[in-house]
Amino acid sequence: MRRTARMLTGTALAVGAVGMVVVPAYGAEGGGLELGPASVVPGGEVGVHTDVCKNGAAAGDASAVGAGAFTMAPGSDDRRATGKFRVPPSAQPGTYEIVADCAEGGRRVTGDLVVSLTSTPGQVHPRGSVKTGVGGAFGRDPVQTAAGVTALAVAAAGGTWLLHRRARGDGI
Amino acid sequence: MRSRRSVGDAAIASVTLLALCSGTWLLTSGDDGHAPPQPAASQADVSGAPRTGPGAPALPPSPPDRIRIPSIRVDAPLMGLGLTKAGSLDVPPAGRRNLAGWYEAGTTPGETGTAIVAGHVDNADGPAVFYRLGALRRGSTIEVERRDGGTALFEVDAVEVYDAKAFPDEKVYGAAARPELRVITCGGGYSRTTGYRGNVVVFAHLVGGSR
Repeated sequence: MRRTARMLTGTALAVGAVGMVVVPAYGAEGGGLELGPASVVPGGEVGVHTDVCKNGAAAGDASAVGAGAFTMAPGSDDRRATGKFRVPPSAQPGTYEIVADCAEGGRRVTGDLVVSLTSTPGQVHPRGSVKTGVGGAFGRDPVQTAAGVTALAVAAAGGTWLLHRRARGDGI
Repeated sequence: MRSRRSVGDAAIASVTLLALCSGTWLLTSGDDGHAPPQPAASQADVSGAPRTGPGAPALPPSPPDRIRIPSIRVDAPLMGLGLTKAGSLDVPPAGRRNLAGWYEAGTTPGETGTAIVAGHVDNADGPAVFYRLGALRRGSTIEVERRDGGTALFEVDAVEVYDAKAFPDEKVYGAAARPELRVITCGGGYSRTTGYRGNVVVFAHLVGGSR
């Protein structure tokens, strides 16, 4: 009852609703180079992975976005080439190609990085408030109620027994 | 024989009296329950400007398994959450008292960006996982256990309370240049007809990680 009464009050607000584009948050695989997140604000750090390079070693290049070169080495969990770089705080919004050259075999992998000033376009943010309570904390504690009822039952039993004895004339 | 019986009677009489008093007290006290603690104004964000401090280096993406907030005795598993049809963050099943959730389509806690965790302040039976969230203070530690076996450590920057009618989506859910965490529950006053007025939101940033 209480719950139905409080339905969806906060969802009417379209305040600052950001452009909602459904794109996976990371794992943009334009050319085998995965960027996480694939969309970042200036100053943000980006993790880079690829399955392509043998032995997991590669030379990364994020100079397109002004972050320069970075190295990729096998991750501690798996043998995938893993690296990271930080987008300079001065980076302009746009899409930048990040590349990595495998240390062996000479293969080149690429991935697209989106830099945006405000919200991450690749991610759909939730909107509005969250319905995380019904007010049950304001009700009586069920454990306390049970304890109270039990105590009264004990009192009733004890009282009955004493009255019974008195009625039989045993005296108290 | 007589004295032993009267000792027994006295014991039964006193137990009866004690049970009567405590039963009455238990059933009459705490009638209104207890409102969950709400953040003090001093715990709000004072800077006003977006925080861009470096914090700790970001961790690689890994889904979270558990959240711990020692100062308010929270230790709960995390489930993945999606969005409701209205676009708001979904919530864990209300029946499970000690369960929180994280926004699965978003940033994982420890990764660069804004990771979002939500849980109930109470359910129909009483207080739930984030009942004491509003009592959290700046500088407190939040630990998130990750599936890669590591732990992401966050430090609380601010504890705010927002009315549902003026919820600052961008500030709460918007992107961040460093690894940040939001922990959300209900709060901001309660009415029997309309429920909780808004949400308590904890803002935190990554300060360390262990594997």
